Amino acid sequence: MKSPADNTNTLLELENVTFRYPDGCVGLDGCSLAIHLGSRNVLIGANGSGKTTLFQHANGLLRPQSGLVRYAGAAVDYSRGGLRQLRSKVGLVFQNPDHQLFSASVQEDVSFGPLNLGLGQESARERVAAALQAVGMASFSDKAVHNLSFGQKKRVCIAGVLAMDPELLVLDEPMAGLDHGMRKELLAVLDELNGRGITLLLATHDIDFAYRWADRIHLMTGGRCVASLDAAKLADDGHALSAVGLPLPAVVELQRALGAHGLLSDSALPRSHSELLAMLDGPTSQSH
Amino acid sequence: MLIEQSAYANRWRKASPAAKGIFALGGFCAAFAAGAPAAAVVVALLIAAATLAGAGIPSGRYLRAVTPAFFFLGISCLSLAFSLRLDDGTGELSLALTPSGMQKVAEVSARSIAALTALLFLVLTTPLTDLIALFRRLKTPEVLLEIMVLCYRMLFVLSAAVHDTLSAQSARLGYATPRLAIRSLGGLAANLTLQVWQRAHALHMAAQARNNDGPLRFLEPVFANSGRDAIIATAAGSALVALAVGWS
Ligand SMILES: Nc1ncnc2c1ncn2[C@@H]1O[C@H](COP(=O)(O)OP(=O)(O)OP(=O)(O)O)[C@@H](O)[C@H]1O
Ligand SMILES: [Mg+2]
Repeated sequence: MKSPADNTNTLLELENVTFRYPDGCVGLDGCSLAIHLGSRNVLIGANGSGKTTLFQHANGLLRPQSGLVRYAGAAVDYSRGGLRQLRSKVGLVFQNPDHQLFSASVQEDVSFGPLNLGLGQESARERVAAALQAVGMASFSDKAVHNLSFGQKKRVCIAGVLAMDPELLVLDEPMAGLDHGMRKELLAVLDELNGRGITLLLATHDIDFAYRWADRIHLMTGGRCVASLDAAKLADDGHALSAVGLPLPAVVELQRALGAHGLLSDSALPRSHSELLAMLDGPTSQSH
Repeated sequence: MLIEQSAYANRWRKASPAAKGIFALGGFCAAFAAGAPAAAVVVALLIAAATLAGAGIPSGRYLRAVTPAFFFLGISCLSLAFSLRLDDGTGELSLALTPSGMQKVAEVSARSIAALTALLFLVLTTPLTDLIALFRRLKTPEVLLEIMVLCYRMLFVLSAAVHDTLSAQSARLGYATPRLAIRSLGGLAANLTLQVWQRAHALHMAAQARNNDGPLRFLEPVFANSGRDAIIATAAGSALVALAVGWS
């Protein structure tokens, strides 16, 4: 199904990647996946399906035992210089913020990446300020990391990667453990980043969120990406979802039920609860 | 924790750490230069006043921070004041309080108190992250700085891990009887060892993911008015030394 145009647009590509952990556990098992430039991608899969393992391949932390990882069309070069290149373009935000933060000061931790890129103090300072601003943590720059809440730590982690100005931002379960308000704010941050042209890939367990937000939804199971779906057409792919044990997004089921009762036109495809409500209230609704 | 909290929340948090360091150093010099015990005590009182009134550290908290130090100081003074004497004739062992001993105790303890207040001033007003940045500017060897950075951070990560594991164990009656407590404690130690190892590995991965290739580099914090602060601190520190030397 790939057109040549798709290929030139592909930023990150995994081809038949297999990775086993030293203890014999299967991390990835012949996994193939393509991420397009500028798109929003969600990786969804059960616990232990290999999401974190895949992300660590994207950033060159793990090296495939067989198969290939390509970035911007070229196979990843695992030499020191090659990894440096890759990691300055692919930013990885870890699942557990305490694993990522290692300076006790917010500002210092965020400055770590830019300084590793070889930036001078002044430009690093600007990047740090901009990154903290972007995640809404500007007023916390002098605080101690251990006095922050979990959600605030997560934002600092994101800022630490943002400050490196990546092309592709990979976030491992960014929404986990955040309250409703924080999620909304984080989403706004992500939208803003995507608007700036940053390609996003994030892991989640929430199919409703994935349907609402993503362009492409990749389904993982058993260390393999079994399907990459267009979010806009997800409603037709119920079988692919149920094959990995996921339900259809609630809003799709609701829209179908409303359609069956003649309350909503069948052509209406709300992606979220609020869109659905707006359609029911709006002039497009059939009857009321 | 007590010191930690004050360091992040005091009136002089934004003052340049270099200035605070200079003032503390001035205090130290004054403590050593002080000829008479009274001079050292006055120096101590002045520094304590600066900490309480200037930096705005609550006095209750200050007292709690100095008490353990005073306790140790008291014990060592006792051992200085009394001398053990073996009487030649009777072969009896006796404790004696000597005037020269008393004089010495007064000198030593007054100086220690002054030095203590100077040190407390620094740590109560300056977070360790600022101090580490200061050491970095003073060209402390990188290895030491990295160890400090990581230890300081890991201290909190690990204390959280200890706390979590302890509460998880207690919640399932891990410490209900002494026997169980010993077993649980063993489990805690084993679990922590593993965690330390995993954390170290995770941090290494995180450093690599952000393109680290060896030395840990961080931004130097900037402090507005650091020049002015340094001048004031130098003046205040010199005044302390002058006072200590001139007292007689
Ligand atoms: N360090 C490791 N050593 C051995 N096996 C591991 C290691 N890390 C992960 N695994 C195994 O690899 C498989 C994939 O794990 P991974 O962490 O990638 O899953 P995940 O999709 O991120 O899960 P979760 O949703 O729980 O974060 C699991 O079966 C896990 O047990
Ligand atoms: Mg994971």
